[in-house]
Amino acid sequence: MNATRIDRGSNETTAVYSEGSDLVFERTFDASREQVWKAFTDPELIPRWWGPHGTTTTVVEMDVRPGGKWRYLSKGPDREDVEFYGEYLEVDPPQGYKWTFMFDVEGVGPMGGPETFTLEEVDGKTKVTSIGHMGSVEVLEGALSTGMVPGGLETWDRLAALLATS
Amino acid sequence: MDMDTDPLSTTFAALADPTRRAILARLAQGEATVTELAAPFDMSLPGISKHLKVLQRAGLIEQGRHAQWRPCRLAPEPLRDVAGWVEQYRRHWEESFERLSDYLRELKDSQEQGKGDDDERDPNRQG
Repeated sequence: MNATRIDRGSNETTAVYSEGSDLVFERTFDASREQVWKAFTDPELIPRWWGPHGTTTTVVEMDVRPGGKWRYLSKGPDREDVEFYGEYLEVDPPQGYKWTFMFDVEGVGPMGGPETFTLEEVDGKTKVTSIGHMGSVEVLEGALSTGMVPGGLETWDRLAALLATS
Repeated sequence: MDMDTDPLSTTFAALADPTRRAILARLAQGEATVTELAAPFDMSLPGISKHLKVLQRAGLIEQGRHAQWRPCRLAPEPLRDVAGWVEQYRRHWEESFERLSDYLRELKDSQEQGKGDDDERDPNRQG
């Protein structure tokens, strides 16, 4: 099965696209694979980079092995605290890992799903591919068609434009 | 049908159908009557009504009370919820990757400065 790759707002540094029901992010880092692996799996390094700008992350638990649990607390200036949590499903240092990425949405419940991270050596740098398995194509399509511009009438314009071309 | 499904799943299920997404796209341009909505589709009025019912149950559209016209319009809230979490997810990784890149660059700089055999050394650095 070959799913179509659809760009979802890539920029100069990060490729963002969907493929089937997956939402994929790709970025190459100027660092060795071991360094990138460490950044992803060392609890002391997670707070250095995890979460959007302006947020601070505390590692509550992080047991990097298959079946191990993880839980991060993320605090932001303009939103409520969010806990991200899940379980490591596969761990293959330094090539990648698979875990579940969950968070609770008020009035809805746990959201998220499995995510796969692949670390590849490319010309002395490291390409990281993160693949979020979002469920079904339709779900991702429906969500993304409304999600690129949050709020306001623009959302509907984008929705209309996108749906018109699909 | 599972009546215990959470609101977001109901929204997703309603969005899963291309005809329903097309109806939403049409309504994004302004309210419309059932007849107007049915026009672009090769579908009977009852067929369209069925889709409208699903959309209505998911809270995605509202229908006016005027007996004859009953125009449909978009209801923004559930779509905003759906948009919200995908947007949050997107933003999370985009910005995390940016921060990770900054961190790894710092790491590299400090390592290069630490190496004695390197050409470009920071002249301001004191041993």
